Amino acid sequence: MKPLTLSRLFLQCAILGAILFCVMVLALKFGAIHVSLYGLGRDLLRVFLGQSKQISSEYSLIVLNIRLPRILLAVFVGASLSIAGTSFQALLRNPLADPYVLGVSSGAAVGSIVALLLEPHVALAPEIAAVFTPLGGFLGAVVAITAVYFLGRREGRIDSNTLLLGGVITASLLSALIALLLTALPSSNFRGMTYWLMGELSAVPSRPLAWVLRVGFLIAAAVIYMTASDLNLLLSGEKEAMHLGVDVRRVRIVVYVAASALTGLAVAMSGSIGYVGLLVPHVMRMIFGSDHRILIPASAFGGAITLVIADTLARTIAAPSELPVGAITAIAGAPLFIYLLRRRLA
Amino acid sequence: MPSTFCRKAVLAAALCCAFGIGQSRANQSAGAAPPKESFRTVQDETGRSVRIPIPVRRVVSLAPSLTESIYALGMEDLLVGDTEYCDYPADAMKKHKVGGAINPSLEEIAALKPDVVLVIKSLNRPETVQQLDRLGIAAYAADPHTIDEIRSSVRRLAEVLGNSAAGETLDASLLRQETALGKKLRGVAPKRVLFIVWTDPLISVGKHTFIADALEHAGAISVVESSQDWPQMSLEEMVRLQPEFLVFASGHSEAVSRDVETLAERPGWSDLDAVKHRRFAVISDAVNRPAPRLFSAVEDLARQLHPEAFTEKSETAKTVAVTVKN
Repeated sequence: MKPLTLSRLFLQCAILGAILFCVMVLALKFGAIHVSLYGLGRDLLRVFLGQSKQISSEYSLIVLNIRLPRILLAVFVGASLSIAGTSFQALLRNPLADPYVLGVSSGAAVGSIVALLLEPHVALAPEIAAVFTPLGGFLGAVVAITAVYFLGRREGRIDSNTLLLGGVITASLLSALIALLLTALPSSNFRGMTYWLMGELSAVPSRPLAWVLRVGFLIAAAVIYMTASDLNLLLSGEKEAMHLGVDVRRVRIVVYVAASALTGLAVAMSGSIGYVGLLVPHVMRMIFGSDHRILIPASAFGGAITLVIADTLARTIAAPSELPVGAITAIAGAPLFIYLLRRRLA
Repeated sequence: MPSTFCRKAVLAAALCCAFGIGQSRANQSAGAAPPKESFRTVQDETGRSVRIPIPVRRVVSLAPSLTESIYALGMEDLLVGDTEYCDYPADAMKKHKVGGAINPSLEEIAALKPDVVLVIKSLNRPETVQQLDRLGIAAYAADPHTIDEIRSSVRRLAEVLGNSAAGETLDASLLRQETALGKKLRGVAPKRVLFIVWTDPLISVGKHTFIADALEHAGAISVVESSQDWPQMSLEEMVRLQPEFLVFASGHSEAVSRDVETLAERPGWSDLDAVKHRRFAVISDAVNRPAPRLFSAVEDLARQLHPEAFTEKSETAKTVAVTVKN
């Protein structure tokens, strides 16, 4: 494998960025309401030229205010889940690790539901109320990964298999808790919450919340990227990394917290969207190799591209009704995962 | 090793992206509906203030019950869109569909340029209302919990849509129907019933639902006293409580009869006296929707549970039945 140079990194990111841009433009075109590619191109050009006033208000409402924010949410959620998946897989040196297997997503879902159920009963300032649910999701994710972390410790050391099994058990325990919360509590909007749990992107965040998400995403992604070289060394084993001067303990905690934050924010916004965090890093590793300095940004782009495509399908297949995007990613992801698994065995 | 530089470069790129997102968001409010001549602010039934144009010309309903109410008020000309579940009256199926009640397409709603979108708290998601707010589309939420609240809710709806007279007329006629039924059932001992939403598992209705209130108006009382809206009940508890009647809501009474025959052969169910003696009532599934049609369903149930109350003074009963059909 050729060594990673700055120009190669840029080139590869630029290619992925261009693909993401094309996918986003196509996603802007498709939807329940027909939008012509010509009209879309003309309007996008106007937006870039700063003449958005000239766009007809109906167009601007549907394309710029309904589709675009939702596509941006898909970009954010897809990138978050993929970066989190890449990080967990590197830390645990196990290709099966992802936010769902480790119970982090279920923890975030429990946190979000508890926050949703508590919200009407506690008097909150409007600024806090707006970020209450994602905050619950984040706390739930952190609590879940902390619990799984301690479950995975044997004689003071992390055992990757024990940790994974601990994650699986925690996830199933938390799923049971979700079922209890949804059915046992009076007047919970059962249907709405079930739909949200399947993973869907219809709830575009309001402006203060969007800023929290953006800043949270950038900080967490940057923090994880800072450890890219350390993650590379960790691939050869913990002891080896320690001998090479990596502060394994610090890297571990930093990456766990940052990846949990990404998962928590993503789940709070979109429920449980599976397979993106598991599969995208795999595919990206096959294409770009396992150097995390390129793998992390590539996974972010790959996750964003995947989820934008999946959500466009979710919006259009059964139009005017919408499907939960989590069902689309699972239907496409499970067979792909089995294929990759069989190919590796062969 | 270029890694520090790499980091900086990617960080810069990421920041640019975020800034781009911020830019596109700034344009968001530009697409709100063009200003109308006049607006008024009303409180909806969940306490939110809603700014509604005068007059209201275009309405989208996101719940079957609200669609039915609009038709009952004779204001269906205002209705430009409804959901795939809005199947009553038949004409409602011809309206433009914007998707399901839980998962409507926001862009379909926006493209209809509604003056107001009607939602109901017990069915639609708060996220839908939040997204309509974000787009500057007025969303009015109804939230009736009793028979009387359904009446007042329909009257308020008519008022919000700009036709108070229609609301008052409908309210008065529903009240007449309710009072007439109340008179007939005066002094009648209420029957203890089990309202069955689902048989496997057994799901009934809680005491805070409008269905529980509807049962009371029909001279029945639910044996279930749960504070959950859709409680799952144990069959054991039902055998202990022994409801006098089972109440099913269905459009097909023959199918229910068949189901009861099947239940009669199953352990647990066969220990219910109501199943043993085939004491069950089937009413229109209109009872599941908090809309004017519910009043007829209530009367229908009362007739099945208390036929003796309807034998005398059959003349008045007939007139009521005619109003019901209209």
